[in-house]
Amino acid sequence: MPELAQVTQVAPVWAVVAVLLLGGVAVVAAGLDGALAARAAGQAPLSGARMPLVETARLLRQRRRTLVAADSLLWRSGGAGLVLVALLMVAVVPLGQWTLADLAVGVVWFNAMDVVVWALVWLAGWGPNAAYPLVGGYRFLAQALAYELPLMFALTAPAVAAGSLRVADVAAAQQGVWFVVWMPVAFAVYCLSVVGFSVWGPLAPAVGADIAGGVLAEVSGPDRLLLQAGRYALLAAGAAFAVPLFLGGGSGPGLPGWCWVLVKTVLLLAALVAVRRRIPTLRPDRFVEVGWMALLPVVLLQVLVVSVVAVIGG
Amino acid sequence: MGVKGWLARQAVVGAHALVVESPGAWLTRVAVEQALVRRGWRAAASAADADVLVVCGQPGARLAGAIDHVWDQLPGPRARTGVAAAADADAALDQVRSVLLDDRGQRGDAAARAVAPAGAESAPERDDGDDGGHHGGDHGEMGMSGPGGIPLASGASARDGLGMDVVHLPLGPVLPYWPPGLVLWTTMQGDVAAEVEVELLDAEDAPLPDRERRSLRSARRCDAAAAMLMLAGWDSAAVAARRARDGLLTGASASESVSAVARLHARVARSRVLRWSLRDLGRLDDEQVAEHLLPQHLRGDAHDRLLRLLTACLDQQHDEAPTERDLDPSAVAAALPPLLTGLDLAAVRLVVASLVPFAAARAAPVGGGPDA
Repeated sequence: MPELAQVTQVAPVWAVVAVLLLGGVAVVAAGLDGALAARAAGQAPLSGARMPLVETARLLRQRRRTLVAADSLLWRSGGAGLVLVALLMVAVVPLGQWTLADLAVGVVWFNAMDVVVWALVWLAGWGPNAAYPLVGGYRFLAQALAYELPLMFALTAPAVAAGSLRVADVAAAQQGVWFVVWMPVAFAVYCLSVVGFSVWGPLAPAVGADIAGGVLAEVSGPDRLLLQAGRYALLAAGAAFAVPLFLGGGSGPGLPGWCWVLVKTVLLLAALVAVRRRIPTLRPDRFVEVGWMALLPVVLLQVLVVSVVAVIGG
Repeated sequence: MGVKGWLARQAVVGAHALVVESPGAWLTRVAVEQALVRRGWRAAASAADADVLVVCGQPGARLAGAIDHVWDQLPGPRARTGVAAAADADAALDQVRSVLLDDRGQRGDAAARAVAPAGAESAPERDDGDDGGHHGGDHGEMGMSGPGGIPLASGASARDGLGMDVVHLPLGPVLPYWPPGLVLWTTMQGDVAAEVEVELLDAEDAPLPDRERRSLRSARRCDAAAAMLMLAGWDSAAVAARRARDGLLTGASASESVSAVARLHARVARSRVLRWSLRDLGRLDDEQVAEHLLPQHLRGDAHDRLLRLLTACLDQQHDEAPTERDLDPSAVAAALPPLLTGLDLAAVRLVVASLVPFAAARAAPVGGGPDA
């Protein structure tokens, strides 16, 4: 067994810093998306980079609305829950030598949080009692059925290689070579799943233009702001969790560990944001087939290879 | 005042506009879209997303009724404007901006609105008289009212013989990337269309299809390709299609606009994901084409027709000569129900978007003979 990696669990009050960091990284993602959109439309990219500020002001000023026989409690909590789940995900990500929650089962914790997203997106679709959001909610469930099992096995691979479910141990096990190098399939499936649970880009049929915004179709004002912020926060949290899992954690030359974690997070996040402009939507009815017939077998093979290497090497 | 004023000024920098197109007003809609891009504003996906409602052209009575419904659903602060001609787009948006900034006026508007929640329906009341009343049976099942006076879902057998709830969902007429004036009265089982009936709103008032210049028709085809790409969830390709359309419309150098379309065509044809996603949707074989009196170039699936929309722009000389007449919209509309029945909502949208662009730009009276 590898020896326990050295991380310090900081006092809960430091959660404020985690909120600010996660928020800051999410704003960077939204700004980058705005800039790329503006450039594609032939406008100055900088004008698009203001998008997070402008959109926040617009939605704070906009009035909330409700619909006939809407289930307001579940509708609003579905929207607000996404931000909370993203925060609970990053709680187990070590920032250099500090972590908010040094759980012995940190990898499983992350997996549990991403399953909560199923309920939240579906509730946000079901709550307003309208056809398009409901269709969006069901589309998300269909898509989640396709990516969730491959994601679970993709999370298993680094844990098997490190011989621990503790996130800090997984990061420490990559002192020699990063896991992304010898488990690329698990990394690719993980990234695809992050795009999936963030309802983003090619895996965003739940908020598609063909159903008038789907889960977002009937929501306005601060409720919409929370839903949108939640999507960016989930994308950022997914990118942050990939750093200890596949990208060597805080290891890197020159800079301190916490700095490397942030740099790697932002770089991966930028790549995930850019994917949206390159690939059309994967329709859920066809993507389910890919998930079960292609992703699941290849990621299982990946886990097999990793297990064999771990047994021989261990 | 200071904070509120600042918030309002920031908010209008990126206002979202729901653009409604009346039949025959597509050039006005394009001018509005261009004006939105110049301001850094965005097109809204639904009423809840919109700060601004822009009505392009002169809507007929039924469409105007639907637009009023939608206006009631804008959350506010909100502003509404009508753009009669393409040249008025910028002035109308400037005026809308000042309405949005006027905090006192917006508070007055909010206070004057009914407290009852907005209904989710965005379609006009169904006018059964016109249709000979043959859907009476559909509505008979819906007599029982659920919470809030909404009819409860009724039951029916699904494709596989299982009993399933059905819900009546009108698609259109106020729906982004949807042909103007078209309403599909669907009976949905889950997100699958079990029954589809077609109506063209206010068709009796619309002028006859006109011959149009070739460059204009190419631009219209590019515009239709942009709508299809949006529905397929490929925003950046849709933006490229809109820019190619704008190039064709401004009459910038013909070779430049054609090469922009060629680049787009290559990009779209290269995407394996798009082909995989659109393959076999709305496939028309030779027999079906003949049966519905449709032209040969509608053969194939949605992906074939998307590529054909773009190749059509490449083949044609961009001179000012008028084209041969396009299809009558009612001919395409009549072919839709059998093609759409049994498809899910995403497929319905893509098939409609792939077929309707081959019809004429203006709506013709329902029942007018095919004109191709």
